Amino acid sequence: MKTAAMTAPPGAVSHKKISLAKLKPYLFMLPAVALIGFWVYKPLCQTLGLAGYKWSMVPGTTPEFVGLQNFTKLFSNKDFWPAVKNTLFYTLGLLPFSIVLPLFIAAATQTVRGRAQKVYRALFFVPMIMAPVAVSVIFQWLLHPTNGLVNKLLIDLGIIEQGIAFFSNETFSRLMILLITGWKMIGFSTLMFSAAISGVNREYYESAKLDGASNIRQFFTITLPLLSPTVMLMVMMSVLFASQWTFAYIDVLSQGGPYGSSTNIYYMMYKFGFSDMNVGLSAAAAALFFIVFGLIALVMMRLSKKYAFYDN
Amino acid sequence: MYTLRKKCGSIGKHGLLVLLSLLAVFPLYWMVVSSFKNQGEIFGTAFWPAAPTLENYTYAFEQMPISRMLLNSFIIAIAMTALQLLTSILAAYALTRWQFKGRGILYTMLTLTWLIPAQATMIPNYIQVNEWGLQGNPLAIVLPFAASAFAVISMYQGFNQFPRALIDAARLDGAGEWQILTRVVLPPMKATISSLGILLFINSWNEYLWPMLVTKKLESAPIQIGIKSFVSSDVNMWGSLMAATTISCLPILIIYIILQRHIVDSFMKWGIK
Repeated sequence: MKTAAMTAPPGAVSHKKISLAKLKPYLFMLPAVALIGFWVYKPLCQTLGLAGYKWSMVPGTTPEFVGLQNFTKLFSNKDFWPAVKNTLFYTLGLLPFSIVLPLFIAAATQTVRGRAQKVYRALFFVPMIMAPVAVSVIFQWLLHPTNGLVNKLLIDLGIIEQGIAFFSNETFSRLMILLITGWKMIGFSTLMFSAAISGVNREYYESAKLDGASNIRQFFTITLPLLSPTVMLMVMMSVLFASQWTFAYIDVLSQGGPYGSSTNIYYMMYKFGFSDMNVGLSAAAAALFFIVFGLIALVMMRLSKKYAFYDN
Repeated sequence: MYTLRKKCGSIGKHGLLVLLSLLAVFPLYWMVVSSFKNQGEIFGTAFWPAAPTLENYTYAFEQMPISRMLLNSFIIAIAMTALQLLTSILAAYALTRWQFKGRGILYTMLTLTWLIPAQATMIPNYIQVNEWGLQGNPLAIVLPFAASAFAVISMYQGFNQFPRALIDAARLDGAGEWQILTRVVLPPMKATISSLGILLFINSWNEYLWPMLVTKKLESAPIQIGIKSFVSSDVNMWGSLMAATTISCLPILIIYIILQRHIVDSFMKWGIK
């Protein structure tokens, strides 16, 4: 480089050097950005576009433009409203497992430290690392109508007389899928809240104790406000991802049934696209809920900025 | 009186934690125990097999190309992890090292990907890999996961803790970017990178929707997809199904047992996808 600089006209080289130096950050960013652009943003735009077309993915056929027809068809589709209702059910139903119970457990056990804490941590975390398929299969076995452990124990205890076919029962199917998702979340959330609580300055609790504040009062006046950033983060994650996390359980355990009683919007999109081969309908649903969840995220981000309390 | 109350409180706390730990681990325990029960015992409620047997494992290996699928899973998960680490190291380096035009936009583009569910991209991506004739090829599973915004952001957060003065010193010594990255930045970041790598490996190993869409034959399927197809085909062989599922969990569990503390820490630091 240095010898080249001596022989070539100085102006040209410095110009070239500057432009290369300017390009460097982009070159380093390029692989990640190009791949994410190609595999996430490009298909997202294509999906938004496909929402206006009728197409069955059959090779050799061309999509036919139908305007907003897919959206009207979506709203009148028999699976649509049950799927929306169940999405709400999963989203709200997960909150006790991702927020309420973990907060309570983390606060109640905040004095458990040291070796014991490490052991609990290691065990709590096991559900989180397990594959959704493996989890589904294990619960399918535990909840098997005639031979599953749960039914056998319930019969032995005299609570029921006959085994329940949990995943072909309209009341139990979605409830069980929610409980499995909750089982996967609860330990992780508890650990997140425990970590946040251990970061709270102990002096607050000590002076509260001197003032004679009860444990419950301490929780609401010290723990909860100081944890609000973590709580908001977890609420956001839980709300945005609840229905996505249920996908594998629905697919393996109930395929959305019986009679669409356990399906949700993401599973519905998959069904529209890959069993009904109705690309437009699937894309219309994807576009609609991309916007809906985008708005929810925006509102929550605003709320979090407004209400989350930071201790300096 | 006070100490008694304190003691009761402590027992209560530990009771709660023990109960939760049991709840967390029991399904896994039941899977392993069931996989060692013989045909006479499998439908019983005994919490320990009276006559442990390996017949479920041999049957599972006879019925399914398990070793092949494990190999597929390893190849796919390692390829995904390596590519995601590589692309995220490069991008995180750029984000840490320079304040360049468009940096904010690119970073926002990365963070916004968590609002885009796989279901909003699956159809165009499915058409894309089919167009390239990759249907059934492991490349079809790996390519869309070659870069992950989650990996870039986590890596960037890790790099952010790196002292800038060291980079500046190396630059003044005349080191090129590649040298700064490989000789100055990466060595002290080894722990961060490997813990992120483990997390990415676990995520890749457990991936479900996309591999399910693009695999056609069991011989080229990752183990998760194999287990799923075993569920739908052979519903009454619970012992061998549990054996196959145990095998599919084994790599992750072994990693977890060895590196438990690191894994919990990195999940808590970076959250979940």
